[in-house]
Amino acid sequence: MRTLRNLQGPALTLALLCALWLIVIVGLLALKPSVFNLGTVTTILQFSTILALVGLGQGMVILAGGTGIDLSVGGAVSLSAIIALLSLKLGLPPVLLPAVCILTGAMLGALNGLLVNGLALLPFIATLGTFFVYSGVALAVTGGAAQSGVPGWLLVWGRGVVAGIPVPFLTLAIPCFALAGLALMATAWGRWIYAMGFNERSARLVGIPVDRVRFILYALSGALAGAAGLVSLAWLGSGRPNIGQNLELESLTAAMLGGIAITGGRGGVGGVFAAVLLLVTLKTGLLQLNINTVWQVGIVGALLVFVLLADRLSQRWRS
Amino acid sequence: MSAVRQSGSGVFSMNGREWSLLVACLLAIAIFSVASPHYATQGNAVTVLRNSIELLLIGLGMTLLLAMGGVDVSIGIVMGLAAIAIGRILGADGSPFVALVAGPLVGALLGCVTAAVVVLGRVPAIVGTLGLLGVYRTAVFALLGGQWLSGLPSSLNDLLATTVLGIPVPALVIAVAYLIVWLALRRTPYGLHLLAIGNSEEKARLSGIPVIKVRFLTFVISGVLTGIAATFYVATYRNVETSIGSTSALDAIAAVILGGTSILGGRCSLLGTVLGVLLLRILQNGLLLIGVPSLWQPVVTGVLIIGVLGFEAVSNRLPLTRFQRAPA
Amino acid sequence: MLSQLRKVLAASALSFVVATAAHAADKHKVAFVPQLIGIPYFNAMEAGGNRAAKDLGVDFVYSGPVDTNPVDQLQIVQNLIDQGVEAVSVSVLDASSIAPVVESAKAKGIKLFTSDSDAPDSGRAVYVAQATDEGLGTTIIDELVKRVGEDATIGIVSGEATASNLNAWIGFMQKEAAAKYPKLKLLAPQFAGGTAERAAQISGDLMAANPDIKAIIAVASSTCPGVAQAIETAGKIGSVIGTGYCSPNTARSYLKSGAFGFTVLWDPEQLGYLTVWAGKQLIDGKSFEAENKIAGLDKPATYDAAKGILLLGPPAVFTKDNVDKFNF
Repeated sequence: MRTLRNLQGPALTLALLCALWLIVIVGLLALKPSVFNLGTVTTILQFSTILALVGLGQGMVILAGGTGIDLSVGGAVSLSAIIALLSLKLGLPPVLLPAVCILTGAMLGALNGLLVNGLALLPFIATLGTFFVYSGVALAVTGGAAQSGVPGWLLVWGRGVVAGIPVPFLTLAIPCFALAGLALMATAWGRWIYAMGFNERSARLVGIPVDRVRFILYALSGALAGAAGLVSLAWLGSGRPNIGQNLELESLTAAMLGGIAITGGRGGVGGVFAAVLLLVTLKTGLLQLNINTVWQVGIVGALLVFVLLADRLSQRWRS
Repeated sequence: MSAVRQSGSGVFSMNGREWSLLVACLLAIAIFSVASPHYATQGNAVTVLRNSIELLLIGLGMTLLLAMGGVDVSIGIVMGLAAIAIGRILGADGSPFVALVAGPLVGALLGCVTAAVVVLGRVPAIVGTLGLLGVYRTAVFALLGGQWLSGLPSSLNDLLATTVLGIPVPALVIAVAYLIVWLALRRTPYGLHLLAIGNSEEKARLSGIPVIKVRFLTFVISGVLTGIAATFYVATYRNVETSIGSTSALDAIAAVILGGTSILGGRCSLLGTVLGVLLLRILQNGLLLIGVPSLWQPVVTGVLIIGVLGFEAVSNRLPLTRFQRAPA
Repeated sequence: MLSQLRKVLAASALSFVVATAAHAADKHKVAFVPQLIGIPYFNAMEAGGNRAAKDLGVDFVYSGPVDTNPVDQLQIVQNLIDQGVEAVSVSVLDASSIAPVVESAKAKGIKLFTSDSDAPDSGRAVYVAQATDEGLGTTIIDELVKRVGEDATIGIVSGEATASNLNAWIGFMQKEAAAKYPKLKLLAPQFAGGTAERAAQISGDLMAANPDIKAIIAVASSTCPGVAQAIETAGKIGSVIGTGYCSPNTARSYLKSGAFGFTVLWDPEQLGYLTVWAGKQLIDGKSFEAENKIAGLDKPATYDAAKGILLLGPPAVFTKDNVDKFNF
């Protein structure tokens, strides 16, 4: 037990997540061994992709501190998917659809960055505002109707599976997480992000370009939301104006569950990745056992509270 | 940060933001009156005011929470749970007077639960209440068993849709609630403590303020106000649906922010919240009256938030602003 | 401490898991995935499904999302397919709710079909329909015209803007009005989401914006209480007629108060029964007759082989005179 006691912060969270994940797996194994096949793995990863991408952006924004948070991610997912499809109808060559989708997301994210940096609005306020705007515009310009016109070759990518792993997860989610993890651990940018989150004033004093880093992170979060929008298009085969509904809260849950401190400076993307997989595995497990879906939200909520309290307790032991 | 910023000393003395919101409300009313011949009628005014009741009450509580550097994203579902209690009592042909008590009581209880997690557990309010949001939602589904409470008797409405001395009961309740919260905030140690905690919890603790007690109490107050909102909800709609309150928390936060309360805490405007709620409702109503589809209403809310706060940020920018940012 | 915590957690997880280790019978399984759970309409379908499962000797699985979210719905469908449930029926939010899984269902030999809300051209096995979308749209307009005349102004309040079946009904209302009653003024549809509060707010605004309005149609069942309440609150009973696709239980008190003139709906319990029956037929590899007499249903169900639609029958019209004969 002593080793566990010495764990703190991200390491403790990771250990907890793995323990919880094991509990879910063992529980499932005991009850329904038939669940364990490649198909289930594919299903879990398929439904993790969108949340993983959005959660990554959310996590990075929070990590950089300065009360960072991105409440607009769900709206950005919907709006970038809708804008990309609408621009096809206006004559854009379909080949450019992926680029437009991600670029639109990046621009929506950059707008958040501008509001936070340029106007010095608090991130909570700025992104609450853009949450209303992005999700509202996506619904209003379409009147709520799903948009068709996704090219066939995109569906091949979106619905493809290689060795049991969905192609979007393999080609988008994993590389994004790997790059982000690498950047955080091995580059100056990564150190800057942690330094900003830990103590912004000192970070400024030692010459870290805090504003530039923050702007890029918001734009990145938007670009990842755009990528998630692209995945939704390629997978569902149509653009739904409310596809990002609830993603702001879900991604926040994943980031917090993944051990990123809401004040920034503590945590890592590995935790977010583990948290996303845990959340989706849990949902899948509950569905496989035919447990009423109303328990899902409650269990996820309780899990979040539990992990936070555990983190808090571990800090108390150390002090 | 400098000392606690207070807006005047009288109940109705106003600061800059409050004046601009009032002007914005009046301007909107003037424009809509010109644009639509059906706007400036008594019936429409009553409609707008009627639709503001719940948000006003929840907003008052949210103002206190934000001023303290807290927040509660589960508050809409708390209203739902209180509404279920009221609905069950009415549905069993219980006395409307019992139902009147039930709302605030359930609200207070849930306020205690939320406070136990957030305050006693020392969890950041936004994340803690996010977790509770999920738990409460499951509770709503489980308690309703998937069924709505429909066709409830109008006994509670008969009680609340009346006038006392010519003043409608809802207006009276809101005025009293406003006055009590205002007095607590501006005339008692509790208010000073609350704003001090909002400014800096650490400093407040060091200077001997009972931080935990004050924070706990604030969540309970917000719960009680939300319980009263639930009472009006059930009385009016005589229906409790499973999706009840799902948008209330963000709407309330939007209105409070518009009203000039700082989410970093320490700055607080009750009058601003009232004007913020009214401005939102006036715009929603007026835009629909001049033919803008209801789907655009969230967009208007968002633009308003960014516009008003952005304008303020630009107009009184200080070189130190960014250094002053404290962790939430 | 942590180890204790983990033990407790493990124990609770285990007990929870054991408690839910349900019957593992070898009966055929038929599933129905609604658009969302926790509304009376789909609960009634669940009840019908359960009755059919008992009669026909199959297992019935009822599972749906808590929000009208296509990804959540898709995840549920996918998991039912992974579980090997032989027949899965879905009330689609729109075609994208099943499009990605049609192929994998076919590969596994699972019968995927739609019920209540259709995804034509998706490759579904059959669509179990309560009534045709066209029948629903035209019935409500025809019935309204009987009551308010051919030159009235009529408002439409729907729920989620993204619900494709509701939008289809609105489309047929507009078509019917344009074709048969050119003087009828059908206002643009407004969307209220899922709460009674928003529906009431928007209905109130609609009545203020159009003083000559004669009727309001509540398209989503979740908007029925709000629309009715707005009419009652505005004191417009008698001058504005509310109507919509509302179940008798939800609308009963409004029909009696006069806020609603009539409502149109089929019996969702029977639709649930027919859905499970259709699933059993598909599993057994039996085809549908042009007219299917089913023991558990009041009327035979007709089958349109060209369109692949199994039809429950024409919708029923409920008024204050006959509403007490129904309980759903």
